Amino acid sequence: MVVLLQALFSGLALGGIYSLVAVGFNITHGTTRTFNFGQGEFLVAGAFVSVSVLLLLAGKGINAPLDAIDVTPTVYAVSLVGGTLVTAVLGVMLYFTAVRPFAGRPGLAWVMSTIGFGILVQNTALAIWGPSPVPMPSPLGNDVIRLAGAGFVPQEILVLVVSVAVLIALDVVMRRTRLGKAMRAVAENRNAATLMGIDVSAVVVGAFVLSSAFAGLAGLLVAPITTASVYMGLTLALKAFSAAIVGGLDNPRGCMLGGFLMGLLEALVGLWHAELREIAIFLLIIVVLAVKPEGLLGRRRVEKV
Amino acid sequence: MDIRRWIGGALAMATALAAGTVQAQDIKIGFNGDQSATAVAELGTAGRWGFEMAIEDINKAGGVLGRKLVPVIRDDLGTPPKSIQNVTELIDNEGVAAIVGPTNSGNALAFMHIPQQKKIPVIVPIATATEVTTRYAKQAQNFLFRISMVDREQVALIVAYAVKASPTKKIAIIADSTGYGQGGIKDATEVLALHGIKPVAVEKFGPKDTDMTSQLSKIRGEGADTVIVYAIADGTAHTLKSLDKIGWAPITLSTWGSQSSVLPRTAGQKLAERLILTASTTEDSNPRAKALGERIRKNYPTMTTFACAAQAYDAVLLLAAAMKAAGTTDGEKVAAALEGVTGVQGIVKTYDKPFSKTDHEGLTVADFYLARWKGSLVGRYEDAVTKTFTPADFKK
Amino acid sequence: MKRLHLAGVVAAAAFVILAPFITGNGFHLKVLFMIGVNYLAAVGLNVLVNHTGQKSLGHAGLFAVGAYTAALLTTRFEWSPWLAFAASGVTAGVFGALVALPALRVAGPALAMVTIGFGIVIEKIVSEWQDVFGGQAGIYGVVSPSVGGTDFGPREWVWFTGALCLVAHLAVRSLLRGKHGRAFRAVSHAEIAAESVGVSVYRVKVLAFVVSAITCGFAGALVAQQNQYINSDFITFGLSIFFLLIVLFGGSSPAGPLLGAILLTLLDAFLARWPHIQHFTYGLLLLFALYLMRDGLSGAIGALARKVVPSLGVPPALPTAVGDWQLRAGEVASPDRPLLEARGLRKAYGGVVPVNRVDLDLRTGHIHSLIGPNGAGKTTLINLLSGIVAPDEGSVVFNGRPLAGLAPNRVCRLGLGRTFQNLKLFVDMTVLENVEVGLHAHLDAGMWHTLWATRTAVREEHEARDEALRILDFLDLRDKANERAGSLPYGLQRRLEIARALATHPRLLLLDEPAAGLNPQETGDLIDVIGRIRDRGITILLIEHHMDLVMKISDHVIVLDRGEKIAEGPPSEVQRNPRVIRAYLGDDDAAEDDLPPGIATAGGHG
Repeated sequence: MVVLLQALFSGLALGGIYSLVAVGFNITHGTTRTFNFGQGEFLVAGAFVSVSVLLLLAGKGINAPLDAIDVTPTVYAVSLVGGTLVTAVLGVMLYFTAVRPFAGRPGLAWVMSTIGFGILVQNTALAIWGPSPVPMPSPLGNDVIRLAGAGFVPQEILVLVVSVAVLIALDVVMRRTRLGKAMRAVAENRNAATLMGIDVSAVVVGAFVLSSAFAGLAGLLVAPITTASVYMGLTLALKAFSAAIVGGLDNPRGCMLGGFLMGLLEALVGLWHAELREIAIFLLIIVVLAVKPEGLLGRRRVEKV
Repeated sequence: MDIRRWIGGALAMATALAAGTVQAQDIKIGFNGDQSATAVAELGTAGRWGFEMAIEDINKAGGVLGRKLVPVIRDDLGTPPKSIQNVTELIDNEGVAAIVGPTNSGNALAFMHIPQQKKIPVIVPIATATEVTTRYAKQAQNFLFRISMVDREQVALIVAYAVKASPTKKIAIIADSTGYGQGGIKDATEVLALHGIKPVAVEKFGPKDTDMTSQLSKIRGEGADTVIVYAIADGTAHTLKSLDKIGWAPITLSTWGSQSSVLPRTAGQKLAERLILTASTTEDSNPRAKALGERIRKNYPTMTTFACAAQAYDAVLLLAAAMKAAGTTDGEKVAAALEGVTGVQGIVKTYDKPFSKTDHEGLTVADFYLARWKGSLVGRYEDAVTKTFTPADFKK
Repeated sequence: MKRLHLAGVVAAAAFVILAPFITGNGFHLKVLFMIGVNYLAAVGLNVLVNHTGQKSLGHAGLFAVGAYTAALLTTRFEWSPWLAFAASGVTAGVFGALVALPALRVAGPALAMVTIGFGIVIEKIVSEWQDVFGGQAGIYGVVSPSVGGTDFGPREWVWFTGALCLVAHLAVRSLLRGKHGRAFRAVSHAEIAAESVGVSVYRVKVLAFVVSAITCGFAGALVAQQNQYINSDFITFGLSIFFLLIVLFGGSSPAGPLLGAILLTLLDAFLARWPHIQHFTYGLLLLFALYLMRDGLSGAIGALARKVVPSLGVPPALPTAVGDWQLRAGEVASPDRPLLEARGLRKAYGGVVPVNRVDLDLRTGHIHSLIGPNGAGKTTLINLLSGIVAPDEGSVVFNGRPLAGLAPNRVCRLGLGRTFQNLKLFVDMTVLENVEVGLHAHLDAGMWHTLWATRTAVREEHEARDEALRILDFLDLRDKANERAGSLPYGLQRRLEIARALATHPRLLLLDEPAAGLNPQETGDLIDVIGRIRDRGITILLIEHHMDLVMKISDHVIVLDRGEKIAEGPPSEVQRNPRVIRAYLGDDDAAEDDLPPGIATAGGHG
């Protein structure tokens, strides 16, 4: 039981990360039918920029190690702003260089160009910070909290709380506010949205800003758990992408659900046979898609004949 | 700032295009290993700087056979096809006299037939898979040598300690699912069997996993009191954290990878100090080691695993010594000479006949010691158990 | 063009034969070998990605299947290396078909996901299942093919790989130039339209996946056997991306994969000494190459060449005297018998019931019209008949055969052709090719013949072209044969859809609003065309809003309203039927102006 509780909790924390990134896929896919295949590298950028902000605030050099004492909740919050801001800017650059030239064109061009952008981001990070992983202390310390026999690291709770809060906020914004309605309108029908006086290009840029900022946030949240590494992006982004597809790429709630499902599934399969986890998960994804190609909460698109 | 490095690369390209910088009589030594593409790139980068420093030092002392050594560095991005291509290029196109590398065992196993066929000696400074030096051991001349902590040898040390220290002799193994971890499981299981012990549990985790609580709970459920962890530093750090999460503190042993400073920074000082690990050398082992560490940090400030640099450094020294002894750079003669070099003062130790015809492991269990993190440094670890070690304990 | 290709092939062959004599440098030979391997993987992937429009981000998995088949068969089972090599293509092909299974149901990002998943599953299996695949330690001692007892050396490998590449090039080229090539492109443009002209989208996709899998499997086997070793580190997601980069960067023409393979392999070999520059070069290439060159390098070079040497852009001349188009004997049903009988057809989408228990009887040789106000369910009824939508209830018997459960391409092959209200042409193909796709189901040459361009296949292709030209002649589109379908004026595009449907040799032709968007002159021409088609013995069911057209040419009119059939009969009767008038007017007394011309005003006034 304790083992199960333990697995559930770390699954949920990881699921929070997947959800944040998966929702990012949904936001841009809704508005442009494209998304960033190099999103993982934005997590890397978010994590490393935040580490650098923390070092800066601690008055250390860019390649110095971070000590637990350097990371208080306040400076962590500042670095969070720094990390998401930089990834948001990267998102704008991504949109103008890698997405806009190809959006609406059939084929794979945008997949390739966004992967290319990601490679550039990753290798810029490699050139600046080097290949060694950078451990990042959690602002809440490293002492294990015990609950019903199971132990949790405070950062896991922070990840879960922040990601759920952000996701709920997003859900409210999308459903209640003018901005959210504009985004949904663009997703539904670009031309109609233009006719309704919505500035479609602003909404689209906004979508990339939001999606990239979410990735940066996810990178910063996950770094104290996994250590920040130039190579951490691909795996996380692939899992988040699977989560989005399984949950339903066109439904933000589906992406959130998919993210948490993915995290839980990973933890539970891990209980059984850790080394078979990827095989089990991806086989399951293929089966789910064969039965329900639109994803669990997705909408079936019928071609008009 | 590593930016300097690729500006340096651009300059190197310009100079190479200008041609003629490499004199015909210079001796080229190749380095091939992952320095940029996967999680072990940090080990490869450390190795590469150790390699360059050694060449710098040798050239300062007048070179080899009156000729200058020239480093030719290639990055294999951690993939075997690239590694094969690089080695072919180094041998057939650059005409190197010897090669140092690679970083990961999979690449070594993939390219090793090429230098073996072309009779070019290779010293492996990092990759630890046992098969690297044994596959061609029965041929007239085996061209693959190693100055690294081969799995089997460090397992011999770890297991010897585990068997003596464990009160109930219930020993478990947990490893990551990479080739490194899997090789470790195989070696540890076999060496345990030599002691007449079967592990009570063998568990695996993914290389990027951060939560091993379920595997560790299973191990605890089997009644183990000693756990051997076979993984790179982050994996070991997360295993320590997970042990803390489930509130369990068995005797925990791991390999040289845990010398990486990533370990204490990820797991925290307190947990890191629980771990007993193997080491060949650390930056405070001797003044030469300290000086080398400082020189490398000027180029590569975030170096985490000094041992890789030291081993690559020693590999070049040994090659140079063998060339001197052979009086030629001819691969076959150098390989033969490597089996007889003596008195080479390296970083890890002074090498007196480190290799033999049948054994190409330059470092063996006798060169290793148990160590433990103490503050920000790794220091030799001794207790009641280690004092009773006799050579007969190190079964392998 | 033909001579240019021949010259290219001869030059490439000469280079492959001579290069190993000129250079003995092992590295240069290795690079040549790798170009061959990458080309082989790309030549098949080009069919899948650039021609069939299917995204795959998991071909490293198929590479692995080929490599491990060769490795296991030669080490564990001691097969001859030649046999093992051949087997690697076969097993990879089988796995390719497996990946294609979900591909019918998923598209776009979900398809990308399925292929990524497949690649990762294979990668994990070969690294985790160590008893069989050896994991990272790998399989050592893979046997290389040998001639006269000596293993292949670097030279022999270049020759062997070069020969394979040449064979693969010739086979894939003739595949792409024949009926399968047209089917691939048709599927990538408009799946539903491809189905409705008798192309099985499913089989085409499976074929494309299998072709790409086979060449990728061979590439894997080459690497394993040349190196005599394989391990799990060879198989990475990055390899899948690299293959995809080659085909996208190279472009869709048969020269594309070659250009891509040469350039990227050389870049990879040359930049190895500057890893940072290499990474950035890849990034920039991925980011900007497709922006600067829409159809890759080969597309850009082709466009440039056509600009410099205009004669290259001139399509081959078409034969002139082709004769009159006729259905083949036996395809014309005897007149005045029931051709299609539908009973109780019903289809509901939630609460909306566009077709509710409709019976339909169509007689051979008649022109039937289906009319009704907007939203009456006319298009849904046609979709039910042509198999695009499955009915909830009811049955359709066509020419004595029940149509229940048949895919649209099967329905089409039974002799039921159709056009679409919203045009669904294969816009990037020529007018002639559009019609030739329609003939797909009537071309019998098997895969073997198309691959090697045998005399049977060539003759059949010529016959197909001639028949397509006769059909174009019949519909006065002959002079547009070599134009891009998408560049035709709207009215001609409508007519081209009819031509394409005629090519399927229909007994019954369903026309969904053929006059929509036409000017009065074009509408007049259309009336003439429909009459001539009927005279060829083809029964017609058309949906139309132009009542004068309906009244002028119909033998029989069927009226739908809110999913139900409210009237049918000869035009003159139907237009006086009070229920019909009410359906069009609504229950209130609407103004007479709302009536479509032709209803309630006998004779119609235009």
